[in-house]
Amino acid sequence: MKRRSLWLWAAAVLAYVFLYAPLVIVVVYSFNDSRLNAQWVGFTLDWYRKLFADEEMLTAARNSLVIGLVASIVSTALGTMAGYAMYRYKLRLLPILVVAPIAIPEILMGVSLLIFFVGINLTLGLISITLAHIAFCIGFVAIVVRSRLAGMDESLVEAARDLGATPWGAFRLITLPLIMPGVIAGALMAFTLSIDDFVVTYFTAGADALTLPLKIYTMVKISVTPEVNAVSTLLMLLTLALIVVASRLAPGALRGR
Amino acid sequence: MRERALNKWLIGAPPLLYLVVFFAIPTLIMVAASFRYAGDFGGLAPVFERSEDGGTTLNLTLENYQRFFSDALYAQLFLKSFGYAVLTTVFCLLIGYPLAMLIARSPKRHRDLLVLLVILPFWSNFLIRVYAWMIILGPQSVFVAAFNSLIGLAGLQPMRLLFTPFAVVVGLVYVHLPFMVLPLYANLEKHDPALLDAAQDLGASAWQRFWRVTFPLSLPGVFAGGALVFIPAFGIFAIPDILGGTTGIMIGNVIKQQFLDTRDWPFGSVLSMILTLTAIALAAATAWYARRERALA
Amino acid sequence: MKKLLCLLWLLSLPALAKDDVLHLYNWNDYIAPETLARFEKACSCKVQQTYFSDNEEMMAKLAAGARGYDVIVPTSNYIQAMAKQGWLQPLDHGAVPNLKNVLPTYLNTEFDPGNKYSAPYAMSITLIGYNEQKIKELGVPVESWATIFDPKILEKIKGRVTVLDSQSELMAAALKYLGYSVNDRDPKHWQQAKEAILKAKPYWAAFNASSYIRELSAGNIWVVHGYSNDIYQADQGAQKAGMKFRIRHALPKEGAVLALDTMVIAKGAPRPDLAQQFINFMLEGRNSADLTNMIGSGNPNRDALQYIKPEIKQIAAIFPDEQTSKKLEMLKDMTPAQRRLLNRIWTEIKAK
Repeated sequence: MKRRSLWLWAAAVLAYVFLYAPLVIVVVYSFNDSRLNAQWVGFTLDWYRKLFADEEMLTAARNSLVIGLVASIVSTALGTMAGYAMYRYKLRLLPILVVAPIAIPEILMGVSLLIFFVGINLTLGLISITLAHIAFCIGFVAIVVRSRLAGMDESLVEAARDLGATPWGAFRLITLPLIMPGVIAGALMAFTLSIDDFVVTYFTAGADALTLPLKIYTMVKISVTPEVNAVSTLLMLLTLALIVVASRLAPGALRGR
Repeated sequence: MRERALNKWLIGAPPLLYLVVFFAIPTLIMVAASFRYAGDFGGLAPVFERSEDGGTTLNLTLENYQRFFSDALYAQLFLKSFGYAVLTTVFCLLIGYPLAMLIARSPKRHRDLLVLLVILPFWSNFLIRVYAWMIILGPQSVFVAAFNSLIGLAGLQPMRLLFTPFAVVVGLVYVHLPFMVLPLYANLEKHDPALLDAAQDLGASAWQRFWRVTFPLSLPGVFAGGALVFIPAFGIFAIPDILGGTTGIMIGNVIKQQFLDTRDWPFGSVLSMILTLTAIALAAATAWYARRERALA
Repeated sequence: MKKLLCLLWLLSLPALAKDDVLHLYNWNDYIAPETLARFEKACSCKVQQTYFSDNEEMMAKLAAGARGYDVIVPTSNYIQAMAKQGWLQPLDHGAVPNLKNVLPTYLNTEFDPGNKYSAPYAMSITLIGYNEQKIKELGVPVESWATIFDPKILEKIKGRVTVLDSQSELMAAALKYLGYSVNDRDPKHWQQAKEAILKAKPYWAAFNASSYIRELSAGNIWVVHGYSNDIYQADQGAQKAGMKFRIRHALPKEGAVLALDTMVIAKGAPRPDLAQQFINFMLEGRNSADLTNMIGSGNPNRDALQYIKPEIKQIAAIFPDEQTSKKLEMLKDMTPAQRRLLNRIWTEIKAK
């Protein structure tokens, strides 16, 4: 039976409006024929043209996407394992190590990772950035997966075991599908965190690597030109396209079963 | 039994190892820094100091901690940040819960899209989104003009919305909203509609169905979302910097200044330690409380 | 698994093409693209820029051990701190003969005697920028720091003023307002400055170091405490946006902070030869003038004057005359104890 509550609908719609209000401005102003992001002057595609001629910006965008993909995949895998372990077993160290990166001020994490990477002689660049991102993304995935597991019906798993499934088999066929929405939610959060991170990335990028947040931060002073709006808009669309493609390959992952 | 222990290690070890190497060890370096002196020009002073007569002294101190505990200003800022973080979490919950509920109850084929729509805005750039809020809340904004004419009808003076604590809260809530919605959704999605049907058959009203069935079941999601909003919001600095005007400084700003303008890494470490430990303690307390509630339920 | 390895390989690609690259660690938007292109042709190499928006960001990164930079562009008062921590290597004056193009006033300063490490690059003055139309309308005087500190004047522009979000810059302005030197370290004077700031704070809209340029151009903010090149660009922005007002500079009569930005070579630079070449290149008049023409920065290079747009040369705040120059001071670095005290005062100011 479908419950349609008017209040629920209204509240949710308002929430979407809240989420999209700044975005509308970002997208609309990317077509604004004015260097300032203040008033609407006229329609133009100039900023998109400028964007595609801006090699540095494009490199930065590519770097951010690649780092984001790798970081979210790895941190989702590790985070799911962590979330499951925290749910299943009595652990003391792991929960702290999982929550701490979320709590620690980014600037401390950035500086400490820089000191550490220099200490172990790791070349600073895209790899050091990715390693740093994974570290703070694991926690987000773990917490979501753990909460999704809370209150899970163990009898299904037990039944599977009784029928002869191995622990891994039971996990793969029963538990994982059940927690999949949590895993995907975690992955989405991890990806978002990674492509938007500034502080930690600033410290762990070397003299070569530039990510989109770093590049955009540099443009912030001289009146954020609509070129930045253009790259933001395109980044969103590109990511959306990637997700749509991925969901065709794994349909229904977010809906769970 | 042995199999269980083996599994525990197989599953728990990879994330544990990763976090030990790429988080715990670097952080411990900075924890150690909180006991050291700041370098003359920046960074950290050496741990061992050679004196003229050839002996070495251990250059460690508790003065950084003493400074924190002897100065009410920093505790004040902690409390202020705590307040902002609580406000942010509450509003994120109020706004995010209906949203998550709607998505969870939508037909299966719509859910993917609706969830994506929640997080899509956050794949643009953080700064751009915040600057967009500067436009929305700024003096030339249509929205602000409308708001002011509304309150003008009530006889109040026109207000400035930008560069106020209000703007800071709006920014904080906006930036953290998906981290409340996604965990909540992940939890609400698995609620069995049959439970609500049964409650309705027993005569429960819509509100009762929500308050006595849905909400308690969603508590793990609420706590997860709450943690993922409160903890980062507690230490953030960018939003107060951009939207806060002359007010709205939070402890995150002070910590940033220690590492930059003041070049006082040890003190920055102290503040960071206290921030982190407070956040972890709160998270642990909430988790313990949640477990207790579930045990009693 | 294979996909992961593939991705990792993709990630490492940028690291492969490292050879003929000059790594420049510079302020945002602090070199004209044409200049870079010209250098890349002249040296048959690539320039890889990374950015910082504050000297302290750069210091923090270097203090934590970041390496791989060839040329860095710090403000002169940081050179001592960098040298003492062993982050710099000396300039080879033989490879950088164009140093002679620099006006003698800016050579051999107390921050780098004999220009052992640095070559002057560009300058800016921290002063007052204002919306000409609004200021005329309201009859607000702008010849003194009182414009941003005196509540009587601030009353007319309440909520339309921003100041820099920098403890050293704002403290310097307050000290100047009270008649002290910007390098005055007397705690009593600092407390007086704090009081002056707190009195004026309720009238200020924000502490803002970045978006104030846009706010000026858009007409939301009418008076700023800011950098001369930012204010020049605000004016450019306003004109391009078709605004009916101009943004002007006002150099307060009490004096102001002058910042001289310089180029230095990092110790352990991968390509010190390219670094020397780059610095010499940038000391050529034409190359040095590019930046001034782009952002309205001050220029310590005598040879560059012929290439600079006449309208910029006329702006007194960018090219101050002899008289005005006497009132400009450069900020000196502080001891850790002084920095700590300043930060405590700053935190207090912000927390109230």
